[in-house]
Amino acid sequence: MIKQVVPSQVMPLPHLPVGARAMVARVLGHPDHVHRLEEFGLRRGTKIEMFRRGNPCIIRLAGNKICLRADGLLSVMVEPVG
Amino acid sequence: MIAAADTPTFTVVLVGNPNTGKSTLFSALVGVHQHVGNYPGVTVEKKTGEMVIEGRPFEIIDLPGLYSLAPRSRDEMVVVDLLFRQSQEVAADAVLCTVDATNLERNLYLVSQILELGLPVVLAVNMLDVAERRGIRVDLDRLERQLGVRVVPTQANRRIGLEQLKAALAVLPSSPTQPLRATCKCHAGLLGCACYNPGMQRPPPGPLCPNVTRLPAAFESEVALLHSELAADPQQCPDGPPTRSLVRRLLLDRSGYMQRTVLNDAEGRWATRIETAQTRLADVGCPVPSVETTARYDWARRVLDGVVVEPPHYEATHSDRIDRVLTHRLWGTLIFALVMTSVFQSVFVWARPLMDGIESLTAAAGGFLGSHMAEGAVRSLVVAGILGGVGTVLAFLPQILILFGFLAVLEDCGYMARAAFLMDRLMVRVGLSGKSFIPLLSSFGCAVPGIMAARVIEDERDRLTTILVAPLLTCSARLPVYGLLIAAFIPAQTYWGGLVNLQGVTLAGLYLLGILAAVLAATLFKRTILRGQTPPFVMELPSYKWPSPRTVAMRMAERGWVFLRTAGTLILAVSILVWAALYFPHNPQATHQQQQRESLLGQAGQVIEPVVRPLGWDWRIGCAVIASLPAREFVVSNLGVMYHLDDELADNGTQHDRWSQKLHGVTWDGTDRPVFNIPVALGIMVFFALCAQCAATLAVIRRETNSWRWPIFTFAYMTALAYVGALITYQLGMWIGDGA
Repeated sequence: MIKQVVPSQVMPLPHLPVGARAMVARVLGHPDHVHRLEEFGLRRGTKIEMFRRGNPCIIRLAGNKICLRADGLLSVMVEPVG
Repeated sequence: MIAAADTPTFTVVLVGNPNTGKSTLFSALVGVHQHVGNYPGVTVEKKTGEMVIEGRPFEIIDLPGLYSLAPRSRDEMVVVDLLFRQSQEVAADAVLCTVDATNLERNLYLVSQILELGLPVVLAVNMLDVAERRGIRVDLDRLERQLGVRVVPTQANRRIGLEQLKAALAVLPSSPTQPLRATCKCHAGLLGCACYNPGMQRPPPGPLCPNVTRLPAAFESEVALLHSELAADPQQCPDGPPTRSLVRRLLLDRSGYMQRTVLNDAEGRWATRIETAQTRLADVGCPVPSVETTARYDWARRVLDGVVVEPPHYEATHSDRIDRVLTHRLWGTLIFALVMTSVFQSVFVWARPLMDGIESLTAAAGGFLGSHMAEGAVRSLVVAGILGGVGTVLAFLPQILILFGFLAVLEDCGYMARAAFLMDRLMVRVGLSGKSFIPLLSSFGCAVPGIMAARVIEDERDRLTTILVAPLLTCSARLPVYGLLIAAFIPAQTYWGGLVNLQGVTLAGLYLLGILAAVLAATLFKRTILRGQTPPFVMELPSYKWPSPRTVAMRMAERGWVFLRTAGTLILAVSILVWAALYFPHNPQATHQQQQRESLLGQAGQVIEPVVRPLGWDWRIGCAVIASLPAREFVVSNLGVMYHLDDELADNGTQHDRWSQKLHGVTWDGTDRPVFNIPVALGIMVFFALCAQCAATLAVIRRETNSWRWPIFTFAYMTALAYVGALITYQLGMWIGDGA
């Protein structure tokens, strides 16, 4: 179902290679959890860069670094940018 | 600096995201004129400081760092209570917001929530130097114009901008603060609003706008409706008529916390009412809670329009280069293990001489008082009850101070977040997150600071699980028990050419037993009584910096004091109780042994003997174990008292040897069958590995959970575990012994 909604270059955050920059396309999950990430600054349109892959991973967000573990309940979809 | 006596104190609360240099700014502003207390009913620390600006006394309250006013963690609840509830003892007159210049958009999210309160706000923009190094340019004049509040650049760690900040605060008391104007121009658009701007040269400083952030019209009409309903029914709001910003939070809050605390809603009528409003909002495309983030970030973007110029891409910083190594799965983990080993090594090595010093001082004081006081109950109480208790508490202070010193250094330089990141992978297997790791690690030193450190865990279930299993990890108080019994009963055999020592293996086994029990207990609790959906684990990794000696010293002093107060009073009280149970009913003619047997404790020991017999214990061991309720290491001196091993206790080798010989010679009453053998000794050690014989731990659990339920639960489950563990050990040991 997700595939129909989002364009093909959108990928789950864990697939983003180290050093690659991307734009958050959407955060999927329980509304309260999504809200929490949004309050933390991670929301649709935020520019991020992968620093260390894995689960939890480390991403760069507006010049800061945050670590994030997205379990099955929550997934961050990103769109790589050049 | 003497304030005029007639001017009332002006209270400023300090609010900001974590890692924005808020506490550093607080220390820089108030210096040593600060003290730490607690908010009523909760354990969140309340730091207040006093200062005088231009003859007027100011009180600054440093609130816990937070990202949002949505009340989820304890810290957030405290801030929300303080800011929204007029019945709280603190009435804020103004808010000082600290923001991080490198991430203004996210910081403004909280600022937008704060602005709605209707209090005067001053914005301290911190870390401009870091922003500059990263190539981020911030136009502060423009920010001030577009935000409508006074903006002051600060660099708290180098005390830059403090005078300007004080000047900005100084004008607040004389500026108009009330009331909100219903027909604010903001309804027409933010930039056209003449918002409240104390101290700014730009006229006119009108009343503060109640609608700085424009939430959708549908949402605001729900707010208006609920507001009028609540205002019409004053009994519903014990704190007084709600403000519009409070009603907004009531509608936005999905946790139910605001309804529970602000409304008098026993029948759940308002909960249903609010839920209906939220459903209506979702139907018109304003779903709670996402309507809030959308509106506030829109506002933040408008405020920041033309203010921030970001570099096309971020260069690798020092922190990045360090993080390439320190967060590496292999190298990072190795370095982490090394750091932790050296911390614990140092804690034990450095604390040892101090502990010995304190112990010999208390012993000397006991000897002095003993020889200068008249024989009788008072002397016995002072020497055995009070001095013994105080000495035990004080002896642990060096360890706690040193451990917290190290942890504060690691925390302040930014390493702790990396440690939590590395350990998350491990902790997630037992259903916890990386944030539980540091509290559990501290518990290897002492469970009391470990349990206190669990405050950083936002998820309440994770926090409780961490608190409940922390006492299972081998703390340093168990070492005297293990030391005595291992030396006495475990043969000093070595295998493989001296590489493996049986005594060492036993000690390692006991540590492992604690870890294993904690893992199993945590897994069990997270699947049963504390079951629930785990929120996503997300955590900021702050840039590395040199730790500030001031912050570290303050943290050590704070923790040390909390330990002394919590542990001190309780250990003292329980020590006196145990002393009384051994002393009364007192029979001056009785021999030492008779007195013991006839004392309350002795009688209790004989009553429980059938219970402890399957563990291979006689009533004296039972007594010694009960009497070690204040602290585990008491059992060593208790065994000494019960079996007349020695008149006093010292840690030197010869003493230990004498004790060992005497323990081997102890027999069951009226027989020549020895009480102690290897299975009994192992059983006692297993019991102490798993039991909750530590009044300080139970007291701190009571304090941190604010209920007696959890300390009672902890005591019950750990005692049951300890009994079963000791039973299995003894019975298995005897069975193997018989077979061999």
